[in-house]
Order: sequence, then structure tokens, then C-alpha cells
Amino acid sequence: MRLKLSPKAIAAVVVAALVLYVIVANWAGNPINAKNLTTFLVVGISLGGIYAILAGGLVMTYATTGIFNFAHASIGCFLAFAYWQCSVKWGWPTLVSLVAVLGILAPAIGIGLDRLIMRRLRDASLVVQLMVTVGLMLSFMGITLTIWKPTTARTLPQFFRDSSGVKIGEVTATWHRIITVVVAIGVAALLRWLLYRTRLGISMRAVVDSRSLAGLTGAKPSVVSGTSWAVGCMTAGLAGILIAPETGLVVENLALLIVVAAAAAAIAQLKSIPWAIAGGLLIGLAKSFTAVFEKFDQNWSYAPEAIPAVVLFIALLFLPEARLETGKVKLTKRTERLTKPWEALLGSAVVFAIVFAWAHGWIPWFGTTFGQRSDVWLGRGAYFMVLGVITLSLVPLIGWAGQVSFANFAIAGIGAVLFSHFGGQNGDPIGIVLVMAVCAPLGLLVALPALRLKGLYLALATMAFAEFTDKVIVRHPNMIDPSASGNLFEPLKLFGFRISTDAGDRQAFVIFLAAVFCLFMLGFMLMRRGRFARRWIALSDSPAASATIGVNLTVQKMLVFALSGAVAGFAGCMLGLSSGALRVDSFPLFAGLPLVLLLAVQGVRYPIAAFMAVVGLALFPAVNELLGKPSWLSAIELIGPGIAAVTMAFRPEGAVFYAGRDLAGLLPWRRDAREEKELATAKLREQDIGRDEIGELGLTRAFTADKVSQLDRVLWVADELDETPLVPEASVVGGSPGDGHGPNGNGRTPVGAAPEVTT
Amino acid sequence: MSLLSTHDVVVRFGVLHAVSNASLDVEEGRITGLIGPNGAGKTTLFNVITGLQEPTSGKVVLDGRDITGKSPFRRARMGIARTFQKLEAFSSLSARENVLVAAEQRRAWDRSKFDPGQVADEMLDKVGLTGVADYMVGTLPTGTARLVELARALACNPRVLLLDEASSGLTDEETEEMAVLLRSLSAEGLAILLVEHDMSFVMGTCEYIYVLDFGRVISTGTPAQVQSDAKVQAAYLGTLAEAPTEVPA
Repeated sequence: MRLKLSPKAIAAVVVAALVLYVIVANWAGNPINAKNLTTFLVVGISLGGIYAILAGGLVMTYATTGIFNFAHASIGCFLAFAYWQCSVKWGWPTLVSLVAVLGILAPAIGIGLDRLIMRRLRDASLVVQLMVTVGLMLSFMGITLTIWKPTTARTLPQFFRDSSGVKIGEVTATWHRIITVVVAIGVAALLRWLLYRTRLGISMRAVVDSRSLAGLTGAKPSVVSGTSWAVGCMTAGLAGILIAPETGLVVENLALLIVVAAAAAAIAQLKSIPWAIAGGLLIGLAKSFTAVFEKFDQNWSYAPEAIPAVVLFIALLFLPEARLETGKVKLTKRTERLTKPWEALLGSAVVFAIVFAWAHGWIPWFGTTFGQRSDVWLGRGAYFMVLGVITLSLVPLIGWAGQVSFANFAIAGIGAVLFSHFGGQNGDPIGIVLVMAVCAPLGLLVALPALRLKGLYLALATMAFAEFTDKVIVRHPNMIDPSASGNLFEPLKLFGFRISTDAGDRQAFVIFLAAVFCLFMLGFMLMRRGRFARRWIALSDSPAASATIGVNLTVQKMLVFALSGAVAGFAGCMLGLSSGALRVDSFPLFAGLPLVLLLAVQGVRYPIAAFMAVVGLALFPAVNELLGKPSWLSAIELIGPGIAAVTMAFRPEGAVFYAGRDLAGLLPWRRDAREEKELATAKLREQDIGRDEIGELGLTRAFTADKVSQLDRVLWVADELDETPLVPEASVVGGSPGDGHGPNGNGRTPVGAAPEVTT
Repeated sequence: MSLLSTHDVVVRFGVLHAVSNASLDVEEGRITGLIGPNGAGKTTLFNVITGLQEPTSGKVVLDGRDITGKSPFRRARMGIARTFQKLEAFSSLSARENVLVAAEQRRAWDRSKFDPGQVADEMLDKVGLTGVADYMVGTLPTGTARLVELARALACNPRVLLLDEASSGLTDEETEEMAVLLRSLSAEGLAILLVEHDMSFVMGTCEYIYVLDFGRVISTGTPAQVQSDAKVQAAYLGTLAEAPTEVPA
């Protein structure tokens, strides 16, 4: 243990030195006097209090249900808008509005989510869990934007805005701030009371330690998870209502608070509510500190917005390494066979032919005149083909190696910016190679702090990186000069061809991109048959077993990140070419998420799914336009992918898998596909035990597959207990309930112990 | 000097001693059994040997080299292979791919030249799974998936093979075939350490047995010696209510 401490100590010193340097280098020169200090504390604590409420609810939901709710902040955002509707638009009294939103609407959303969606995710893979909650995040953002159009400015007034507040020294603390702090303390106390003083809370904590065992002790899992989601939504709504007067009632601002909550949750190691609250306070204080004492020059003016992302990264550096867990392998009843090389070739050719035909206007588009707006449509076509390449870069990473990354769109964005410096200006293709050489290690660098941790942290880290890219990296004038206007990219000269997005070249550009996309797709399809893909899939199926056959997990993960980064970098160059000019706000976090979601919906393991994903992505705006842009469809680009992703709770394997199986069954020579489907149907039928058999068992109603699997779980635990009885009482002492390793206890793990005691 | 040995291995989870001062030797060309009531610390000891669990104190020595601080993949490359109590097969790969991954991985560091595909086919043949080679492991019955794990471990060409409940999920027939396979492997010089609950399997297959109870080695010896040991009987019979494993007299 002594040896292990020292790298962390070094890291701590380095981080502290860096933070100190940033603080000193950007010192605003304001005196450290009572006034400034009081301002710093009053603002910091009240802001931190709101973050604490948000993070506390998020961590409680994760700890008790095992699902990290990326939609937490956007639910809060929705509820804040609902509160505005009640209190401002309809003019209801404050208290009535609060009760309506936090007492009725919030729990209703929470319980509804639990009943309809979250329960299905309990045993789902991490990828599916992430996609569904990120999908929910986009859906809630989209719904909010649809109901409350962003074209109208709205302000949510502070509480007691008419009174003058309390004077602390020379600083006046508004009543809103004081209430915020009081409420935050109240929420912390309530959460603690709920978890430690009520029977339900004890059940909830029991679930944290061992979900299956808790079920046996009489705790109703449905009540526990329902309560957890309801309380989670209430905290989100409360935080949203409290913070909206400060940030403004703007959907993006409020939904982005998820990064803050995630950072605080990382500090809490996703399980300790007190630490989550402390983390929230810390971020609030840090923000207020920079506001009062720091002054960033023009180049870094957006840096304060990146504080949560930076805190998250620092927290990841100091988290204890995850053990290689065993006993978590899921036996998916899924069958598939390897794509044969000729099938891969045929598939790529078909995709190319489709895009080729489309670019020539041979595919009629619901009767609209294609020719009239061909320039616009071809430009979009090019853009979507580029997005297709970015999506492809996710297939080996998420689909095979199981490493969920939200950063690839941001990496492509950086690639586009770099290409504008490296070769885009004079059409030199060597610039593409340079950009790929930079983006490969960049992908790796993003992942590095999270590689030794649980998969969820990787998702958090990459999301934070995407946010950091948007807020800091591309906003530096050396990256994109805001004063420069016009085309940053000259036509690319490649093998004597002129590749650009100029109106005359656009058709050729689309066809060129289609060829590139198909080559990458073919490459990946063939790669799936090779040893690297096999090794990566093995690594994702069982890390422990991979290690014990000699796979160096870290090296393999680094390889797949580098590959993915390089492809994303290439796509970035094309992104630059296709857009011509770059703007600092071209790469927001939310623009990259639909790519990941739609790929997952189509089937994250299959390269062809990348094409279907972008076709889907392209259809949303197309349909919107065809319908004449009705106002209820204005946020379709968020809601569409969002809802599609949410459906993964019901069909987790992705459309390519289901469609592939059904379509292959139509081919006369694919008898295997038909048999396989019959097998799957037969299995389902088998699970729905008929009423007759049930009667014999003395039961009164039919059991659905879901119930049977629940019963299975209970019986399994009972078997486990028979086989491996609990540790004798004398040896079960100590360890606070918060120490449990999340919901993966294996029955006889004593509280506070690592989960591998079974023999 | 035995090929693999553990010296006074201690694993503590909080105040629970999962393994206390366990020392055992695994010899080349011998099937060594590791038995004990549930919760005795057998799997934990396996995890310590393969590097998945860091011991609180104690040493693991392979062929005279202390490997206690080595990471799991390094130990695998030094010749330790294992199967798992709870299935750890690569469920979304086919049976053949499962074995192939291990063979290819060995090809990357092993100096000997061989064709991984051929090795994979040989190993599948050895455990009798040629017929299901192209099925995804996730769709196979548990017993069959266990055999895939065994073939995968063998594809690493190990010097020491650790089997965690190799026979569970197998039919009587398959168990008998497994015993024959293990005997022939050990005759070829492989060191095998076997955790098992099927007592007749253990007593029939192992040449030397360690009995673990509450993390301590309470008895060692040949099957006959162990069976007649009063402490062993107390350990099993004394906790009969909790561990209804049958010990043949």
C-alpha cells in the first residue's frame, strides 16, 4: 500500500501546483478584504448549495438503483420551466406553484420513469443504461424547448425579491441566497433522515449493499426504486428552480448542470451522499472564487465555465483503482455469425450505390423537386456523410471494446480546427495525416484518467472533455480566430482531384465522402473478423478472464482509443472541408450526443449501423422541412434521437440485429436465421408459463417473463444462501453502509468488504 | 521444489479473514485438490494466485520467482491459466473465437511458432466441443460454456492450470470425461489445482488434497488421509446445516 500512495502524492502536488499557477497567473488584483471574502462566501455557498442538492439527488438515485441518470439536470430544467409556467405565466401563489411542481409533477415524473423505463434497465448492460438516460436527457431538453419556445425571453424571479435581504458586513445577502442555503441544509438533513431513520431508507441502503438480498428481507424493490426516482426528480426540480434566477431560464445552461452534478458525484465515488454535497459546495466555491478574485484575459475568457469539467478530471485522478470483478458476465441469448468478406464488400457497395444515386438526384424525395435545392441538400448530404465517419469511429470503441465515449464529436471538432492550420489552407492532403497523428493520442489522453476505473467514469470523463472542448479549447483565438471570416479551407488536391464544398464540386464531394465512408466501413467489417476486434470484444465481455489469458487490458484499451481518435480526426478534416468556415460554437456537447445514441439504437456493434444512424439523423430535419416546419416539431433533432434511444430499454440489441435476423430469414438460403428466430420465439413462449401449470403450482395468476425472471432471481439468491451461508456473525463487524460496492454484492459479502469472498 | 506455491497468504476484508496463512504447493504432473466448506476461501486463494486479488500479506512463488506483485496478465504469460466459478466466458464470441483469442494472445509473446487457428481447433477437440465451435457462447448451456473456458485456458499452454469448480453444470458422463482429460493432462506434466464440490470427483481424481476451512489449511494429504482426518469431518459435518455437501465416508 505504501508504494501505491506515492504516485498519488506526486499527482496531488502537481495538480496543486497547476491550480496555484492558474490562480496566481490570472489574479485580478482585488484586495482580500472582508467585503470580497464575504461576497465570495455568500455567493459560493449559495451556489454550492444548489449544486449540492442536485448532486445529492443524483448520487442517491445511482446508489439505490444502479442507474446513473444523465437526464437528472434536464429533468430539473423541465421542472424549472413548469414552475415558471405556474408562478409567472398563470400567476399562482409561490407556495401553490412549488407544491404543484415539486410535490406532484416531480414525483409523478420519477415514478413514471421508474415504472416505464428504469426497471427494464436493472440488468441491462452499461451501454444500454447510458444510452437510455442520455436519450432521456435529450428528450427532456427537446420537450422543454417545444413547450417553451426559446424565442421568448423568460425570467424566473428570485424568492422575496422585494425585500432587501440581510446585511453581512458590507455585503447584502439576498433572501433568495439565504433561502437557498437553508433549503440545501434542509435537503441534506432530509436525505439523511430518509436513509437512516425510516424503514424505507433502511431498505434503500440495504439495496445499495445487495439488491438481491434486500429483496429477501421484505423490502419491496419496486417501492424502493420508485421512491428513489421520485426523490431524485424532486431534488433536480428544486435545484432547477433555485438556480434558474441566476443562470437565466435557458435550456442549455440548465441541462449542462449535469456536468457539475457528475463532477460532484465523482468526488463522492458515486455512492456517498455527504461527499456529493461537499463536492457540490466545492464547485460552487471555486466558481465564486474565480468570479470574485480572478480575471481571465480575453484568450481564456470562458475558462470559468470549464471548472466543473476540470474538477471532474482531477477527481478521476484520485479515485481508487477498480478491481477486476468476476461474476458479472451476462449470458446474452443473442446469436449472430461473422460477416463474410463478400457480404461486407456487397454491403459497402450497396451503401455507396445508394449515396451515389442520391447525389445524382435519382432517388425521388417524396415528390419534392430535388433539383431546386440541390446545393443545400448536397451540402447537408456531405455533412451527414462526415457525421457517418465520426459515428463509424465509435464502432470499435463502444461496440467492440465496450468503452463508452461521448468525446469523438469533440475530437473531430478539434481535428477540423487543426486542419485549418495544418494543410486545409492550401489543400495539402498531408495535413490530414498530421491531424490524425494528433487526434489519435488525443483520444487516448481523454481516456487515460478513466481507463483504470469503472466504465461509467469513462462516460463522465468523455462528456466533461466534450464540454471542455466547447468551452475552452476551440474558443482560444489561436484555435479559431473569431475575427477571421470566410473560407478557411482551400479545395483539397488529392490524386489530381479537386475536393471541396464549392457549389460546383459539391456533388463530387458527396460521392468522395461516400467512397471514404464505405472504405472505412469495409475496413471495420473485415477487421471484425480479425484478432484485434476479437480481443477487444473479449475485453468487454469479461475483463477478468481477458487478463488471465494474458491480455494487457490497458494497452488494448489505449489501442482502441487511438484508432477511434485517428478516425475521428480524419472525419474532423472532412468536417472542416464540408463546412468551409468554422465558428467557435460549432461543436457544442449536445451536437455530438445524437450520433452516439442513434448508433446505439441501430446496433453499436455493426459498422453498417453507422450508415443507418446518419440516415436516421438526416431524416429528422428532412421530415421537419417536408411538413413545413410545424412548431411542435421544432426540437425534433433532440427529441427524435432521444426517444429512439429510450426505446433501447425495450430492444437493447439495436435495430440492425433485429432487422438483420428478420430480413435474413427471408433469404431462401438462410435457413439458420429462420431457425434462430423460431428458437427465440419458442423461448419466449416457454417463459410465459400457462395458467394450467400455474394452477398446479397453487398460484393464482399467470406469470409473465418478467415475473419469472424475478422469481428466478429470488430462487437464485436462496440457492446461493444454501450453498454459501452468511459469514458467521462474529466476523461481520464494521464498515459504514456507504462503503458497499454499489449494487453488485454477491449475497454473502459483508458490509464494507470487497465483493469477492465467495468460494 | 514445487512449481507453484503460496507462502502464508493472508487476505483480509475489513476484519474478516478470508484467507489466513494459507501455504500450499502445486507440483508438476500432479492433480492437487483444494476443498473446503463454502466460504472457506478457496476462490479468494485462486484470485490471489492469478493476481485478481492482492493479498494482505504472504507470497506467491512460481518456479522459484516471487510473483506476488505481478499483474494478472503477466502471470498468465508466465504460465498460470484458470477457469472461473461463475462463468467468465466471452459470451458474445463464438466458442472457437473464445479459444482463438487466448491462442492469438499467446502467439504475441510466446517464442514458439504456431498457427493460433490450429491450436484453437485442437483445444476444442480436446474438450469435445468441435460440434459447437461456431455457436456464440452466450447461447450455450452453462456446462458447455465451462468446457469452453477450459479449452481457452489450455490454449494458453499453461504450466499451472487452476480449475474452479470444473465439474459443476456437467452431466455425470461429462464429469467422467473431464476426469479422464485432467488425468491425461497431468500425465503430460501439467500442474493442476482443482477446487471442487463433487467429493467423489475430487477423491477419484486428485493425488494430493488441501482442506481449507475459514481461510486456514486444516488438513493435507492423500485422499485417504484427508478423509480419515477428524478435523475435516468436523469441518464438514459440524456445519452440515449450512453446507449440505455429502462427504463419502
